Amino acid sequence: MKSSIKLFALICTMIAFVATNVAMAQKAGGPWTVPANYKQKKSTVKAGDPSINSVGKDLYNKNCKSCHGAKGLGDGPKAAGLKTSTGDFSSAKFQANTDGDIYYMSFVGRDEMPNFEKKITDEADRWAVVGYIRTLKK
Amino acid sequence: MKNIYKILKISALTLFALITAQTTTFAQEEATADSTVQEQPSNKPVRPAFESPLLFDAATTTLFPSKTLEFVLQHRFGVIDTKDDNYDMAGIWGAANIRLGLNYSILDNLTVGVGTTKFNKMEDLQLKYRIIEQTRSNSIPVTVVLYEVVGIDGSPQSKWDGTPESSASKSYKFSNRMSYYTQLIVSRRFNDQLSLQVGGAFTHYNCVDSVYNHDRISLSFAGRYKFSPQLAFIVSGDFPLDITSIKDYKKVADENTVIYDKPNLCVGLEIATSSHAFHVYAGSAQGILPQEVTMWNKNDFFHGGVLIGLNITRLWNF
Repeated sequence: MKSSIKLFALICTMIAFVATNVAMAQKAGGPWTVPANYKQKKSTVKAGDPSINSVGKDLYNKNCKSCHGAKGLGDGPKAAGLKTSTGDFSSAKFQANTDGDIYYMSFVGRDEMPNFEKKITDEADRWAVVGYIRTLKK
Repeated sequence: MKNIYKILKISALTLFALITAQTTTFAQEEATADSTVQEQPSNKPVRPAFESPLLFDAATTTLFPSKTLEFVLQHRFGVIDTKDDNYDMAGIWGAANIRLGLNYSILDNLTVGVGTTKFNKMEDLQLKYRIIEQTRSNSIPVTVVLYEVVGIDGSPQSKWDGTPESSASKSYKFSNRMSYYTQLIVSRRFNDQLSLQVGGAFTHYNCVDSVYNHDRISLSFAGRYKFSPQLAFIVSGDFPLDITSIKDYKKVADENTVIYDKPNLCVGLEIATSSHAFHVYAGSAQGILPQEVTMWNKNDFFHGGVLIGLNITRLWNF
């Protein structure tokens, strides 16, 4: 009888553990619906502009790194606590997005991805961040 | 007075060191820029000179965009007392002063705030208005901000009138509790690393003990040198001036009178993220509101009057 109770308790614990982990597992983010006016936006910061590795890098490290990681791999210290995976900026799939797509995803945001329009107010600074995200490509 | 000269000398050396370090950085930046495309200056405003509107207990020229709410928690432990008979650990077990505050940006150039402080149960209303803003083209070389703090001492009425039976109670007015701090701050962001500001302030208390003065003029400075996107070395100083013409109590204080004329000096580190700013520092004044710091500091930074302070801020955008 005692063994049965122990077995039952063990099974309950295992079910609870699995259920908790399944509930906490991150889901991949669904496709973004980027409005046409953002999709077609053109960056005002050209590739190689010095602001990408100064302003863009600084702002990325201050605002994005804690979730997206130093190299954009989605391995920042806060990433594990999110319900949705932050994705991988270095991947070909992510880099296939237009600059306008990245701008919209980075600054307008959705759900767990916060809006950064009030945190980074200058348009050129935002494009410098997009430019820096481009440099994270493998 | 000698101490003030000592502080000014150290401040000047610190600024010199910062500027020297900056010159080196300039040289490196020029070398990099030569090989790439130069960023053209424009008439756009520069990026904020400081990460946070708060530096220790001082206001900076930084204001957040409209509809930003900021929660501020300022904490100062007791003075680090090295006397053997004092059972304390670097002031951490001593009497601490704490302020909780909320600031809201009504406009991009106007912020209002409220707060409450432990010492003297001070309640405060604050206003910060940016008059002009430094531009990237240098057509406006500095940012100028007006900063006003109205303090209301929440202590029991007996602080002013003694016992209810005393004749002085008849003269008590609510306005006795009020104090005012008005400051004009001028800052310049020299580059991505170095920002400096100076300020002049007038402090007025409606009611003070008979041996003290109601008014005081002070000068202040603050500086920041960023080592990384999130970490910066920060320093500030507030220097009360001894101006005889604005004194209403001109007698020489007797030996029992505590003299509150010490400058407040703070040195520390700032860690800033997108939504937070953290300060950990060594300072001298235990007051937190600027009028308390200017008017009632008796701690000498260089003679055992140092205490540990912490600030935490949190931002929300709407």
